[in-house]
Amino acid sequence: MAYVATRGGEKAIEQAERLFRQDLGTIDIARVAAIRQSMPYLIDRVMGEASLYDEDMAALALAQTGGELSEAVLVLRAWRTTQPRLAVAAPLRQEHLLTQRRISAAFKDIPGGQILGPTLDYSHRVLATDVFEGIPYHPPAVDAAARPAPMRQPSLADWQRQQGLVAPATEPQVARDDIPDLTREPLLFPASRAHRLQSLARAETGGVLALGYAAMRGYGNAHPTVNELRLAEAEVVVRHPCGTEFSAGRVRVCQAEVTSKEKGGFLELGFAASFGWNEVKVIAAATLDLNSAEAPLGSPMHEEFYLYHTESVEASGFCIHFKLPHYVTFQSVLDAMRDAKAKAAAADAHDDDDALAQARQTEPAE
Amino acid sequence: MMFNEASGPGPERAGHAEALGVLARARPAPLKALAETLLEPMGDITVIANRTGLVMVPMRDTVENVDFHLGEVLVSEAHIVDAAGRLGYGMITGRDLERAMAMAVVDLALAADPEAAAIRRFIDSEHQHQAALDAALMRRVEATRVEMETF
Repeated sequence: MAYVATRGGEKAIEQAERLFRQDLGTIDIARVAAIRQSMPYLIDRVMGEASLYDEDMAALALAQTGGELSEAVLVLRAWRTTQPRLAVAAPLRQEHLLTQRRISAAFKDIPGGQILGPTLDYSHRVLATDVFEGIPYHPPAVDAAARPAPMRQPSLADWQRQQGLVAPATEPQVARDDIPDLTREPLLFPASRAHRLQSLARAETGGVLALGYAAMRGYGNAHPTVNELRLAEAEVVVRHPCGTEFSAGRVRVCQAEVTSKEKGGFLELGFAASFGWNEVKVIAAATLDLNSAEAPLGSPMHEEFYLYHTESVEASGFCIHFKLPHYVTFQSVLDAMRDAKAKAAAADAHDDDDALAQARQTEPAE
Repeated sequence: MMFNEASGPGPERAGHAEALGVLARARPAPLKALAETLLEPMGDITVIANRTGLVMVPMRDTVENVDFHLGEVLVSEAHIVDAAGRLGYGMITGRDLERAMAMAVVDLALAADPEAAAIRRFIDSEHQHQAALDAALMRRVEATRVEMETF
C-alpha cells in the first residue's frame, strides 16, 4: 500500500467548498419555507429515501445541497443519526389510513370505490409558458362534492381473502420493539420480509424504477397489474407516560399492491410502501417484491441484487469514491501498459530485423 | 427509556387520547397563548425532557401481514411534573419545542383538573376546526370519485 502526499490541500478544499456554497447563495428560513411549500413531491422523495420524515429538514437539505438529491439524502440520513429514538409508534394499518387517492387497475368495483385524488395521470402535460409573459398560473379550484368522501377505505386484499382470491395471512406475533430494523442491524440474505420492505421503503427512486421497469418489460417472471394504489396520511400513534396512546400528528404515506397471475389457486401479490407520495417508486418496488420468489440468484429481480443496488447512500458513495486519488494503484496499470507497449515495440523491431535479414538473403546478386 | 418499553399502559383517563390528539394538531399560536395563561398558577414545574428526537413508524404489509419499519419521524417532546407529582406530556411531529412544551403544560393542567373549562373550550374549538379542515379536504377528494365501466 502506498500513499500520496497532497500539498496545499487544506486551503484548496476549503475554497472548493466555499465555491460550491457561494454559488447557492444565502440560505434563510424563507428559502427553506419556499422549497417546502412549492415542491411537496420532491420533499416526499427525499424524506422517503432518507427514511426521516420532516418536511422542514428535507427542504433545508435540498437548499443546502442545491437540489443534488443524493447529497440531500446523505445529509439528512447523517443528521438522523444525531437524534435519539424516543419511541416506536403503533404499526400503521391500511384500513386506518386517511386515504386521498385509491385506485385499482385489476378490479373496477372495489369496496369503497375508486378515488382518483390528486393526480396528473389523465392530464395533458403542458408547460405554463405564459408565466414568462407575466401572466401568473392560477390553478382552478376543485368543485368540492356536497358530501365528504369517507376518510378511511377498506383493505382490498382483505376483501380478496374473503373471496378466496388471495392466500390467507396470519396475524403477526412480533412486538413493535422487536421488528427487525435495518438501521441497527445488517442486511443479510435471504432477507426477512421486514428487512426487504424496509429497504425498499428507503430505496432510491430511480434505481427501483430502473430495475422494476426491467421486470415489467419481460426480464422478470411476473408482469404487474396494480391491485391497489393508495396515497394517504397516517396518524403517528405514540404512548403517553401514563399509558394513553394518542396521535402526535400525521405523515404522508403511499403504498402499492401489484398482482400478476394465479399460483397455487391464489392471486400472487407484491407489496411496497414509503414515506411521502411517490407512486412510481412503490409500484416499481412492489413489482420487484412480486418477482422476488422465482428470481434466479444474480438476476436483477433477485432481492440481493436490487436491495444492494438501490441503497442510495451506499451506491452514490461507492460511485463518487472513484473521484478520490487512485494514482498509486493506477500507476501499476500505466506501468503494465508501458511495459506491454515496450515489449510489443521490441517484438516489432525484432520482426523488422528478421524481415530485413530475410529480404537481404533473397535479394538477387548483382 | 422509550415509553413503549414501559411496563404497559396504565389506567386511561376518559377522553385523554382524543384530547392529546387534538392538542398535538392544534394551531401553534392559540396553543402557546393558552399555555401561557396556565403556567402562572401551576407553581414550580420540573422539566424532565424537552428535546427533539425520532419515532420509528412501523407499517403492516397487506400481503403477508408482516410489520416492517417505514422510517422515522422527527418529533418534539416535552415531559414535565409539578410539585404534586402530576405529569404533563407533549409530543408533536416536527421541530417546535415551544409547541411541545405548550402541549405538556395543557396536559398537566388537565391532569390537575380534567374539567377545566378554559381548556375544554379550547380543545372543543380546535377539534371543530380540525374536523372542518378534514371535511373540506374530503369533499374535494370525493369530487374525484369515478365509476369504471367495461364494454
